[in-house]
Formats: sequence, structure tokens, C-alpha cells
Amino acid sequence: MSSWRSLLLRIGDKCPEYNSSDPREHIETCFGALRRELDHSEGELLTFILQCAEQLPHKIPLYGTVVGLLNLEKEEFVKKIVDSTQTNFQDALISGNCDRVRILMRFLTVLMCSKVLQPSSVVVTFESLLSSAATIVDEEKGNPSWQAQADFYVRCILSCLPWGGAELLEQAPEEIERVMVGIEAYLSIRKHVSDEGLSYFEADDENGGLEGTDFLEDLWNRIQILSSNGWKLDSVPKPHLSFEAQLVAGKSHDLNPISTPGLPDLPLSTVSEIIYGKLKHEAELKYPQRIRRLNIYPVHKAEDLQPIDQFVVEEYLLDVMFYFNGCRKECASFMVGLPVPFRYEYLMAETIFSQLLLLPQPPFKPMYYTLVIIDLCKALPGAFPAVVAGAVRALFERIADLDMECRTRLILWFSHHLSNFQFIWPWEEWAFVLDLPKWAPQRVFVQEVLEREVRLSYWEKIKQSVENAPGLEELLPPKGIPNFKYSTENESERTEEHSLSTELIKLVKARKTSREIISWVEETVLPAHNLEITLRVVIQTLLDIGSKSFTHLITILERYGQVIAKICPDEDSQVFLIEEICTYWKNNAQMTAMTIDRMMGYRLISNLAIVRWVFSPVNVNQFHTSDSPWEILRNAISKTYNRITDLRKEITSFKTSLASAEVTALKAKTDLEASESKLMLVDGEPALGENPVRMKRLRSYAEKAKEKEDSIRDNLEAKEALLVRALAENEALFLSLYKKFLAVLMDQLPEPSKAGKLMDLKSSHDAVDIAVDPEESSTMEIGDEDGKGKKRFHPFSALIPPPPPLNCRSSIDLSLLFSDTNGGNASVTYNVGEKEQWCLSTLGYVKAISRQYASEIWPIVEKIDEILAENAHPLFRRAVYSGLGRPLDGCC
Amino acid sequence: MASLFKDPNKLSAYRDRRFSGTQEEFEQALLSSTTVYVGNMSFYTTEEQVYELFSRAGEIKKIIMGLDKQSKTPCGFCFVLYYSREDTEDAVKYVSGTILDDRPVRVDFDWGFKDGRQWGRGKSGGQVRDEYRTDYDPGRGGYGKLVQKELEAQRQLVDYGAGSLGSFQPAVPLPYGRSGGGPGYGGGSHRYAKDYSRKRNRDDDRRSHEPSKRAGDYEFNRNSDPDSRLEKNPRFRERGDSDEDEEDNGKRHS
Repeated sequence: MSSWRSLLLRIGDKCPEYNSSDPREHIETCFGALRRELDHSEGELLTFILQCAEQLPHKIPLYGTVVGLLNLEKEEFVKKIVDSTQTNFQDALISGNCDRVRILMRFLTVLMCSKVLQPSSVVVTFESLLSSAATIVDEEKGNPSWQAQADFYVRCILSCLPWGGAELLEQAPEEIERVMVGIEAYLSIRKHVSDEGLSYFEADDENGGLEGTDFLEDLWNRIQILSSNGWKLDSVPKPHLSFEAQLVAGKSHDLNPISTPGLPDLPLSTVSEIIYGKLKHEAELKYPQRIRRLNIYPVHKAEDLQPIDQFVVEEYLLDVMFYFNGCRKECASFMVGLPVPFRYEYLMAETIFSQLLLLPQPPFKPMYYTLVIIDLCKALPGAFPAVVAGAVRALFERIADLDMECRTRLILWFSHHLSNFQFIWPWEEWAFVLDLPKWAPQRVFVQEVLEREVRLSYWEKIKQSVENAPGLEELLPPKGIPNFKYSTENESERTEEHSLSTELIKLVKARKTSREIISWVEETVLPAHNLEITLRVVIQTLLDIGSKSFTHLITILERYGQVIAKICPDEDSQVFLIEEICTYWKNNAQMTAMTIDRMMGYRLISNLAIVRWVFSPVNVNQFHTSDSPWEILRNAISKTYNRITDLRKEITSFKTSLASAEVTALKAKTDLEASESKLMLVDGEPALGENPVRMKRLRSYAEKAKEKEDSIRDNLEAKEALLVRALAENEALFLSLYKKFLAVLMDQLPEPSKAGKLMDLKSSHDAVDIAVDPEESSTMEIGDEDGKGKKRFHPFSALIPPPPPLNCRSSIDLSLLFSDTNGGNASVTYNVGEKEQWCLSTLGYVKAISRQYASEIWPIVEKIDEILAENAHPLFRRAVYSGLGRPLDGCC
Repeated sequence: MASLFKDPNKLSAYRDRRFSGTQEEFEQALLSSTTVYVGNMSFYTTEEQVYELFSRAGEIKKIIMGLDKQSKTPCGFCFVLYYSREDTEDAVKYVSGTILDDRPVRVDFDWGFKDGRQWGRGKSGGQVRDEYRTDYDPGRGGYGKLVQKELEAQRQLVDYGAGSLGSFQPAVPLPYGRSGGGPGYGGGSHRYAKDYSRKRNRDDDRRSHEPSKRAGDYEFNRNSDPDSRLEKNPRFRERGDSDEDEEDNGKRHS
């Protein structure tokens, strides 16, 4: 990498490229290098500066100042930077690329601080967005269902103010005042976002929705506090100030007016609640909320930050995680080395957990956040492990109120995290869960974490890891050995069925074909035994043959899947098949789930059979005590959904290639026709058509192009037919699922008059202490009991000791994990009754499933409503509605 | 996403010498592949562990364990095949360098599994890296194969007596911080070449529960001395990869 590039890239970092840690010197050095390079490689410079500003947004103030200095000497070049930024910004607005819009607006604001842009230009941009926002929420002219887009624009404006609020106030006080008034007016006409169904904790969902502030109101409050503090904040460096004397001499450029994308029109003047809901859902998918604040730590623990500093640090962290996904080293080092003069480990942990648990889904796979947490534990071995442990404890405390989807993610994360740190955890703290009833959420959590640990490792090892709390062994899953009904180990127990099984094993060993085995079944077994015995012998025996590993399972299914298909052709027999799988693998939840999943993959089991089996009494009875049935249900839904997504992807790609094939075919045809109709002189006589060789070639081109076009079209049609089928399967799945939920809940839920709210179910459960006011945490004083106090970080100091080599994990001080023992054994009782917990858990899953697949459920929502119309319990309706993000009052 | 720090041309530092095409074709294969190569695994890691970890990146199509050519037992690598490219990329991004079964595993894009690639390419049957290693790695069969042979030769020359192996054994950090080395760890000299005790208990129990179960396996027992193999590593699938097996036997029957 040539040096100007690395200087740009590394500016602000402690690195060999720069001698000191003085930001002023960084800027001067970088500026000098760029100025020298400018005459040779202007284009590269332009591209690279923009790239850096976009992908390293926490360094934008530094880049802004460098560009400001360049503006003093290379005005034309800087004009190009401004123009390119504006073009990119405009493109991002039209395409709805939220991250780009937000970052480029920040860059424009910072350019204004460095006198590169006219303040009025920035204000005009703000005002255009604001007026667009106001139009969107206007009932007459706009489309209020798209408020998500309007909120996004206003959020972007507010987000710029920490970077340039002070400068705007100084240079364009009246204009910025106008913007603020405009925002206030917007806030008064928009609808409060109630966030039903997206909060991490059930309790927030019931109370916070109406009373609390939504994300935009919250940001507005923070900005107002900032404004009343004279726009002073610690988290945004202002390097341009030390160059102000020079910068004022620069020529400030203007921005062109921007345009915002049009809105989908409302189809009718009177909009049904359902159409409104569908549009709203669409808008929220396109303009998702970036973060939902997760307050994990007790107020006295977290850093005592100004509300706006907290916001800025969250922005930095989210940006680093977004732009450095896949670059572990840089991601961790930027996250721990933010340009702020205060500590922020607790905030960092809260931000990462808020993403890991973000509903409906995080921007990246949950596994990414596992990796980030692992890397930060290695980068800050003295501080971060204890902070993470604290988060686990705090979340464990409130697990009974944690959303079901979040619980599942937390289990998967925690087991994976521990597997990276030798499975060390102070389990004795949680030994008390053994005294809780088996449905107590804390107990179920421990049990499921252990289950996942065993899957990632092995039974004996995990048993050893809980030796500090030997009682917890009780919660370990059984050793995962098969339970083969026709095992021949015990000779005395041999029955006729054993002999059949042995015979089948022999046939398989002799490599008989599926067809031969089918005839053996039909001619030898079935006539002499009843169907049930036949099925059991064949299924159990094949399962046993495929039991040694995942590959053995696949091999047996590929070879003898037809046998199973033949004997289990309908839903009834497939339910029986699943039951047999569960008997065979009763000691191994992973193999059970895996086997059912594979069989669904080979279409030996339908998703409807799985739903029916999941809702059979034996499973329903463990809805609240085990993740096992839910795992199988989740797999079945996600497989159904994956089929749809895969087909959609293929169809899109076929459509693209069809379009280009059509163009090619048309051109070939035109060429041929042109050539055919051309008048030529042949032997002095005029004749129609060009020389025969060329004609022949063109004709063959045209034919081939046409053939290709047709073949793509055929493929496309085939895929479209498959998609129709997949969508039908999806619809059938959800309808059956909701009907089953309705039925089982109807049996269990108390009368609506006695349980109108979830709180009524947990009546004896003290839920008051769980609602933590998000505002409170930022204004309370920091406790100094952890002795850390407020050590200040120099902006460019090296916070990062080199991460230890991967294979020296033991060098991390694991004792720190235990230094932070607060709580943990506070609640030794769990007062929610079994039936109530069953209802709570089941409703939690109803909500989680509805939310996760909302996009696939909305198109069939009318049919779901028909199911709900049949005397659905209000709590069930509420779970479905909040999962779909649908206001409850909108319905009957 | 972050194009600033990633060298897009460097998809994998490893160039498979068995790939028949050009470098460009190799890179193209890596760019579109839905297969990952997983390296630095413990010999004891099972497919189910791989499944649990890697399915967190996406739906898995297949897992192919790398096997020792001689013993037909896992030799520390595998291929994981996904359905979608995106999941494949996530597996490389999120699993590489993290711990599986106490070891940091390496995950790379692979140009695509072909039959035969499941076998170790070292002279002794395992992976090449285990041929020349001089360190003691209990998860991968102890010392490297060459060192093992050397030690075997020396042992035949001189009878060191019990416990004197200490002089050959470098200080190995104990695998479990709190529990010590586990039963039988680092035993007498007669065991040095096959000190697999660390994780043996996982299937030991299974064996003791069903002592004769293995006899009922559907695959033919082609090993002349199955007990010694079980002794070596009971978590192995004894008769090798079933795909290979199928082909072998298929030929024999057709």
C-alpha cells in the first residue's frame, strides 16, 4: 500500500505510520502526503478519501479537516469531492441505502465545519428531508403508513447535530432554529411508535409501549439536552478547531437541491387496517430501526455518560461492526480504540447485546456477535470478560421476562461463548435453579445451555465443567446413545421382530436395492405382521444403520429413502415415523432434530406432519420445560421458508438472464432480417439477401439465441411453478400452526375476564423491579465500588494490548469472570404456576414465530384473521398481533 | 462490506496443488464455492460437533470428514458443504480462528469436494502437517509421525523403563485448567505413541454400555485388529467414510 493510502487509512490510530499521537500532527502529515500526490493520482485520491470517510465514519472529523486544508490550495479537487459526495448521497437516498445516507450526511456536516460547505447548503438539505418527512405523515398528501421512512430522515438530521450543531448555531443561527422548530412540529404530527412486540422484555412491551419514549423522541430529548449544554460533548473530536485560522480562508462550496424517493400511493381513500398494516410492515423492513436500547446493568455500574455521548458511542460501535464485518482484527481494535476520552466497556457490551438480541433480527447472523464478544474479551482481557459476565448475570436475573426469541439466541450465544473459553463458568452461582420447579425459566435456561454445550463438546467434558455445582448434573441431557428397540445384544430377548430387523440388516449389508427391500417388506413382512410392527421394524432398523454419524444418516436416507417414502406415504404414517425417530433418539435431542430435518429435506416428512407431531400431547406437555419441540418446529418453518427464498433468488436471476437473452435474440433476429432484406447485386442481377455464408451464420445465431431464450424461459416457468407450490406449502403450514396454537391455548388459558394481560398470568411474580427507566441510567452517578472509577483514556492512546495468540487462551485472566459477583442468587423461588408458565411460554413462542416470519404471514393475514375470529383468546390475539407489528385496537 | 482492509484477491492463502486448472480458475472456484475446508481439528471431533457449530452459519448439506489413508480414521480436517454462498461466506468469517473442541480451527473457502479429497496426503496416511510436526499434540495423535517413528526406534534400542519418557515430552499445557490432565494422561513410556486418553471417556462409556453393539454394524469389519483401533480412538467411525465404502463395495458387487 502506497504511503498516502496508509496515512489516510491509519489517521488517528496509534500506528507506525505516524510518529506521535497528536491529532494535529496526523492531519498535517496526511494533508502533506495527499497534496504531494494530488497531481499524479487525483482520481485515486478522490475515490479513496470518499471510501475512507464512508467506511471509517468515526474518523470523519479528521477526514473533514484534511479536506478543509486541501480546499485552501486545491479548490477544484475539493469541489469534486463535494460533488461526488452529493451524487453518492442522492443515489443512496433514492435506493434507500440507510447506512450510506446517514454517514454521508455526517460527512457533509463535518465538511461544513471545515468551511468546505456553506452552512446554508447543509440547512437546505436538512429542510428538504424534513419537508419530505412532513409530507409522508400527512394524511391528505402523503402516506402515513410509511412513517418509518419519515422517521428515518428526521433521525438522520438529528444524528448530524453532535458533529455540527455548534457550528451551525454559530454560523446560521436562524436557519438551524427553523430546522429545530420544524422537527418539533414533525414530532407533534407523527404517530408515537409503540414498538409492540419488538422489545426485549415482555414487561416493557405491556407498559413501556405507550408511556415510554420511542427512539426518535428519545434522540430528540438527547439533542435538546445537548443544545441546552451549549452543544458541548466529549465524544466527538473537533480537530478543525485547531486549524480554524487557516480554514476560514477556504472557499465554501454549495450543494445542489436533493430529491427524495416517491412513496407508494395509498390504493384507496379509505384504507383497511390490513392494507395499512402491510404497507407499514413493508416500510419498516426498508427503514429498519438501527438499535433498540438494552439496559442491562444496574445504574451505578454503567459509565456515567451524557445522553448524547452515549448515543454517539453507540453510533461509532454500530458503524464499526457494520463496516468491519469479516475483518476481525480491525473490528476489535477500532471498537476498543474509539476517539473518546472516557471508558465505555459497559456501554459497548450493552450495544453488542442489543444487536445480538435485536428484534425482529440483527443486521448480521447472531454468530457474528459471538465472535465480536470473543475478540473483545481477548483485546481487553482485564476488563471485558467481567463486563460480559455481568451482562449474563443481569439477563439471567430477568430471563423470565425476556422475549422467547431472545432467550433462544442467548442460549445459543452463551454456550458458544463458553466453548471458546474452556467452558469455565461459576455454575455454583446458579446451582439454586435445582430448587426451582422444572418450568422455571432460569432452570430451563441452564438446562438448555448445558444441552448446547454438550453438542459443541461432549458429555463428560461438560459434566466436568459443572463440578463446582455437582447437583447441576441433573440438568445435563442424557448421554446421547441410541435406543434401538431390536438390539441383539441381549440374546434372551429375541423376538420375531428382532429376527425381522436382523434380516433387514442383512439385506442392507448385501446392498439390496430399495426396490428389493420394498418387495421384501410387502411380500414377507406385511402379510405376517400388522402395519405398525412393519413400520417400526423398518424405521428403527434403518435408523440404527444410519446412527453412527450425520454422514451415515445421509447415506442411508439417500440409499433407502424410497423405502421410507413407500411405507410412510401420508401424514398419519409420517407422524408415526417421527415418533419412532424420537423413540430411537430419545437420549439425543440433536440427532432427533437432525434426523427429522433431513427427512423433511428429502421430502419423506411433510412440514404439516411435523406441526401435527409437535402439537401432540407428549410435546405440548413440555412446551414450557424444554426447547426440544420448538427446535424441531423452528427447523420445519425455516426449511419451508428457505425453499421460498431460494426459489425467489433463482427466479430473480433467471429473470435477469432472460432479459439479456431476449435482447440478444432480438438483435440476432433484426440482424438476420436486415441481411435478408438487403438488395445485393449477384452476377450483375439484383437479388434479395446478403451473401449466403453470412446469411447462414446469422440464421444460426438467431436460432441459437432464440433457443437459449426459450430454455431460460422454460426454466423460469418451472421455478415459478415450484414457487407457487412452495408458497402454498408455506400458507398451509402457517394456517395449520395457528389453528393448533389456538386449540392448545384455548384448553389452557384462563377465562379472558381473569387474564386479560400477561401480567395476570404472572400475578404473583414481582414485575415492578424489572422496568428500568432508560433515561435514569444516564443521569445517575457512577458507583465506585468496582474501583475503576472514571479512568480517562487519551483519545489516541493504545488501549489494546496485542491479542494473545489463539492457542494461548489460558493467558487470559479468567478469574476476572468471577470478580463481578452481584446478584445471581437473589431469587430462590419462582412463583408462577405450571399452567401459567405453560401459557406464558407458548404465547411467547406464538409472538416470536409471528414476528420472525411476519413478511410471509402478512400476505395471508386475512386467512389468519378468520382463524382468530373464532373465539380467540385476547392474549393469543395479542401475541399474534404484536408479533406482526399490528396495533391491537385496529381490529374488531 | 469493508473493502478497505480486505484484500479481495486473497480468498485463501492455501493453493491446492491437486487443483488441475489455472490460478484464475482456482480463484473463480473459490469465489463461487459453497464448500469450506476446516483444518486444525482434533482427531476426536465428531461430525455432530461440526454440525452444531457450522449450522449456526446456515443450513448444512453435507459434512465430509478427512480420513487417514491407512487407518480410515479422522485425521484432523473436514469439508462442510452448504446450500448457499452467503452461509458459506459467513462460516469462513465467523468460525475461522474460533475454538472447536478446545482447538482454534481454520476455515477456508474450498474449491469443491471431489471424491478422493477426503484422504490425508501424508506419507503415513494422515495430513502432511502431522508427518513432520515435532510438537506434542494430544488432540492429533501426539507427536508427528516421523518423530513417533524415531521414538519407536529409540525405544527398541534402549529400555528406558517406566516414566522416563518425561525427557521426550515437552511441557504440554494441561487441557483443562481445573481438572488436571484427566485420567491416564501422560502415562508410562509404553503409551507414548498413542496417548489418546484425553477424551477417550466419551465413547468408552458407550462401549461399556453396549459391548457388542459394534459387532452388529452393517459394514464389514475389514480391520484385522479392531480392538487396537478402538483403543486408539473410540470416537472414530471405525470403518471409514461410508461414501468411500459404498463405492468400494458397489464396485465389488456390480
